[in-house]
Amino acid sequence: MNRTVVRTEDLWKVYPQEPKPVEAVRGVSLEIQAGEFVAMAGPSGSGKTTVLNLLGGLTRPTRGRIWIGEDEITALSDRELARLRLESIGFVFQAFNLLPVLTALENAEFTLLLRGVPAEERHRRVRELFALIGLDGLEDRKPGKLSGGQQQRVAVARAVIGEPALVLADEPTANLDTATGAALLEVMERLNHENGVTFLFSTHDPRVMERAHRLIHLVDGSVESDVAQGVRGGVGHDR
Amino acid sequence: MSRFLLLVRLALRGLRRETRRSLLTASAMALGLALLIFSRSIAEGAHEDWIDLGVRYAFGHVAVQAPGFLASGSLDQRLAPDQVRAAEAAVAELRERGLIAESSTRLTVSGLASSAESAVPVQVMGVVPEAEGPLSRMADKSVRGSYLVENDRLGAYVGTALAERLGLDEGSRFVLTAQGADGQIQGQLVRVKGMFRTGLTELDEGLVYMPLGTAGDWLTAPGAATTIAVMTTGSEQVAATAMALEDLLGDTGALVLPWQESTPELYAMVRLDDYGDYIFHGLLFAIVALAILNAVLMSVLHRKREFGVLQALGLSPGETGTLVFVEGVFLTTLSGIVGMAAGFALTWLFFRDGLDLSFLFDQELTISGLVFDPVMVPKFTLSHVAQSVGFIAVIGVAASIYPAIHASHLDPAEAVKWEG
Repeated sequence: MNRTVVRTEDLWKVYPQEPKPVEAVRGVSLEIQAGEFVAMAGPSGSGKTTVLNLLGGLTRPTRGRIWIGEDEITALSDRELARLRLESIGFVFQAFNLLPVLTALENAEFTLLLRGVPAEERHRRVRELFALIGLDGLEDRKPGKLSGGQQQRVAVARAVIGEPALVLADEPTANLDTATGAALLEVMERLNHENGVTFLFSTHDPRVMERAHRLIHLVDGSVESDVAQGVRGGVGHDR
Repeated sequence: MSRFLLLVRLALRGLRRETRRSLLTASAMALGLALLIFSRSIAEGAHEDWIDLGVRYAFGHVAVQAPGFLASGSLDQRLAPDQVRAAEAAVAELRERGLIAESSTRLTVSGLASSAESAVPVQVMGVVPEAEGPLSRMADKSVRGSYLVENDRLGAYVGTALAERLGLDEGSRFVLTAQGADGQIQGQLVRVKGMFRTGLTELDEGLVYMPLGTAGDWLTAPGAATTIAVMTTGSEQVAATAMALEDLLGDTGALVLPWQESTPELYAMVRLDDYGDYIFHGLLFAIVALAILNAVLMSVLHRKREFGVLQALGLSPGETGTLVFVEGVFLTTLSGIVGMAAGFALTWLFFRDGLDLSFLFDQELTISGLVFDPVMVPKFTLSHVAQSVGFIAVIGVAASIYPAIHASHLDPAEAVKWEG
């Protein structure tokens, strides 16, 4: 039975700006089920990143409602939103955004650390995950000593290690060369397939769009199409 | 590991990563604190010298007098013999308790010193030579003849300038005339036992020491005194000594005056110098505060993206602010320890024998008529060192608050994209 991990209802984000307010997101209503591998595509300025930020509780909607699982997050305080991000959402950023003062292992285990998971369990889980995504032996390296692809894999590990309900990835392959991007995509597919991690990407990358099981097209802040593409697709439908 | 400990760990690593920036800031703070401790200890030492020198020429750290004498200087306002005995007993008791180092019973009167050549108005001070000697250190100022001793019944110890004006030499006789306690003009023949030079015109031209017993008989006030001057074992004992004397003298009618009241012009000078120091210290504090504020704030702005990521990962805005605050506090603590050590070392290594400023002055260093030693010996006062450290701590904490608030108010969605 499908389980809804994210639901939005008539989501709007308007940035007050002179001479005219910018409507970055206009009436987006979405539903993503557990285990989906969803890509959100669209030209620059179409509102992809803003939608991800809204779903991740990094920014608040001007109008509309968002549910993560059973919880409506629109009315949560900053502190409650931080708690929600820690427990239910993983982020992968285009620019990796690893913490430079921490090693690869420490970066990956960071959310577990914040949750108070004992060190032994944290390290075991990180090592297992590193083995799965090809980061074996790199545990003690600082981000500056890792390649771009390795850094992004650590970022993915950090996003999924806490088994969040949803991983939001903002153009994760944009800063990687073709081969590295493809390898990263494989890692994420494997995590989706083997561990049931739910992914929502924003992307320009045709390879990512091809491999997504569901493709949402945003244009000018609105959903233009929402299409199921693969066997693992959830609630896809044409608009 | 608790979340707070995690923040502490992140803060320490943040400081370590920005080693150069952290060291520069810490150095500014440490240097500020070292200068503060050094300048305060020098100022404290200088003030101690001023006070010591000033009160020895005046009424001591604490004076026991009859009410009204300070203003009138008249023999009419004198301590009666029973009051003198009570005061001397109280002083002896406090000497036993370790509060008082020296004391001198004095009978002072304004009079006229006359010789065959001239007549000069003078202050005549009847003293017990062996008590007055160590207190006013007048014995050390002798330039001719010698200081008084116990049996010098008719001996007089006079300033060189006075001797010159009266045409006196060692062994010369002259007459002192003053109004006695009975209201009659009384004369007393004395002989020059020795001459002193202090460098203070007022003393060298106008002060005559004579034995207390002789003065009491001459002025028809045997056993009486106008002042019992007391030097405490340290200037920090003045208040306690004054209070203890007041308690012991109770209802005798004698007045106890700490030096701040008996020598107000000296107190004003010390206070004035204090205000100068406050301004200097205020500027120093402001510079240190700006250095910390700048370093911590720059660090926040520089690491905006990092703080945005931390919030995206689940750190609350408050925790992000705490992280920045903890960094500032660490920086302050580190600098405080280094600065304190450097301050002590600087003062101790270079100035333990005093800071010799004589090269700045062609002549004697004279302030308000007092000749001061140009060698300033620093003095550490635990309370002042604690105060300096406390101020630096407060500044460090205060200067970290704004960057912490700034960090806690970052928009995480914007911060994660920051390209600074």
